[in-house]
Amino acid sequence: MSKKREKEPDLKGTLYSVGFLGAFILITWFMAFYLFIDRF
Amino acid sequence: MTTISERAKDLVKVDKRDGKLALAHVYVAFIALAIGGLCGLLQTLVRSGTFTLPWGIGYYQLLTIHGVLLGLILTTYFIFGFQIAAVSRTAGTLTDKQRLYGWIGFWIMTIGTTASSIMILINEASVLYTFYAPLQAHWIFYAGLALVIVGSWIGGAGLISKYVEWRKANPGQPSPLLTFMVVVNLSMWIICSLGVAVEVLFQLLPWSLGWVDKVDVLLSRTLFWYFGHPLVYFWLLPAYMVWYAVIPKIIGGKIFSDSLARLSFILFLLFSIPVGFHHQLTEPGISSFWKFLQVVLTLMVVIPSLLTAFSLFATFEIRGRALGGKGVFGWFKQLPWGDARFVAPFIGMVAFIPAGAGGIINASHQMNQLIHNTIWVTGHFHLTVATTVVLTFFGAAYWLIPHLTGRVLTKQMNRLAIIQAIVWAVGMSIMSGAMHIVGLSGAPRRSDFSTYGGSTQAAEWIPYQVAQAIGGTILFIGIVLIIYIVVNLLWFAPKGETEFPVAEVSEHAEKTPMVLENWKIWLTICIALILFAYTVPVIEIIQNAPPGSKGYKLW
Repeated sequence: MSKKREKEPDLKGTLYSVGFLGAFILITWFMAFYLFIDRF
Repeated sequence: MTTISERAKDLVKVDKRDGKLALAHVYVAFIALAIGGLCGLLQTLVRSGTFTLPWGIGYYQLLTIHGVLLGLILTTYFIFGFQIAAVSRTAGTLTDKQRLYGWIGFWIMTIGTTASSIMILINEASVLYTFYAPLQAHWIFYAGLALVIVGSWIGGAGLISKYVEWRKANPGQPSPLLTFMVVVNLSMWIICSLGVAVEVLFQLLPWSLGWVDKVDVLLSRTLFWYFGHPLVYFWLLPAYMVWYAVIPKIIGGKIFSDSLARLSFILFLLFSIPVGFHHQLTEPGISSFWKFLQVVLTLMVVIPSLLTAFSLFATFEIRGRALGGKGVFGWFKQLPWGDARFVAPFIGMVAFIPAGAGGIINASHQMNQLIHNTIWVTGHFHLTVATTVVLTFFGAAYWLIPHLTGRVLTKQMNRLAIIQAIVWAVGMSIMSGAMHIVGLSGAPRRSDFSTYGGSTQAAEWIPYQVAQAIGGTILFIGIVLIIYIVVNLLWFAPKGETEFPVAEVSEHAEKTPMVLENWKIWLTICIALILFAYTVPVIEIIQNAPPGSKGYKLW
């Protein structure tokens, strides 16, 4: 495997995508948490 | 540019004798899908309140067939078929002895499956998919399931032996990625299925044979979930194998990082087993400290899941940009949207986003009360196993079956396969979506249609149950389509060569550290975590055992 690094690949889209994923998980979790607090 | 040696690698075929063994597993898997899928359709129709089952068939009987055939048989057989082919393709043809292990395993599993299925069909074992005591089935049902597990150990031993042989022949080299992943999955399976084997051999069999009168329900459930949660990862990891090692090749790209893929599999091995209590969060008799500890370990699984998400997005983006995709998301359009081998697993990946988010909610200790034993949970695992895993398996079947039968997926079949994936996604969105929503309103899982004595709350659930039946009907159309495609690929598709796609690792990736293949370290940590999470609570469960329960046959 070559140690030479010509250019780091552009992964801006990946960054936004995993950011969206994290945000989705947090939003759904807090929605459920709100229901939980409301009911119990 | 593809070199001649790379092209030669692409044409590596699974040996015919290994292919026959893999195909035998695939046949059983799709027979189970056809029967189990029909039962699923009937269940949703019954729950809509518009359909009554004929000939004295019970709702819970259907539920048991559906769960056992799809949750245990379809998955285990397809996984074994895929894993046999993957090991043979990447680590070399199995020896006669290893293949013999595979066949002995296959027949023991099949005898067990047949015995258990007959018991359910004659209504002697409607104990639901989780076969929870104190519901008591005929002893042959339990013995049959024990044979399925023993058979899988023998078949698995053949594959592990191939891996050991490869390592001895190639000292100091990382093993082929797919073979390594298969061995991680089998290790997890063997360690976790010991729990259910103990439950069946020492609790359920003596009790159902009448040798003992009573069963310790809490202990039996604990042993079941010691097995039951890693079981879901046993389903999922082969889908991850396809995502990590096969999909990059299908889209014309490379594996983002071999080390990251191996690390994520090791983390799944470590954090999938000592976590069964998150299925028992409302169970009395287990102290909340040990529940909390297992909740923490459960949430550790988020790490390899997000590593996987990152790795896949990166693989897609790098490939899409190489094809000329511009801007932040321009690469997305460049992916092969006309190739069913990519589209079906891709829909599965998308489904895993709400599935994973739902899983985190389920495992969040006290918050589990919100959804416990509601049909939300059914909606959840229909996203994880019945969409993410199953659509990935369908996508894999489109190259695995023709590769093994010496046929090709025609353009028409490819188009039909894409339609199948879309039909599945639509049907599942309706069915699983309705299950999630109505689950939050308290609708129970594992329940026949009932108006609950004219309750207003139960009346509000009915429109969602009708929606589930509509989704279920669309999904059944999806099952008819996939069976049609599979039959075509098995016997009618034109003869030809189909590639078993295995991707190369990106030249940007770092060298794989051999510590990732040091089993002494990983198995020691794995067993230490299990002992840490289970020893004290199991001692407490046994010492403070509730009075045993006699068996109930409520169907």
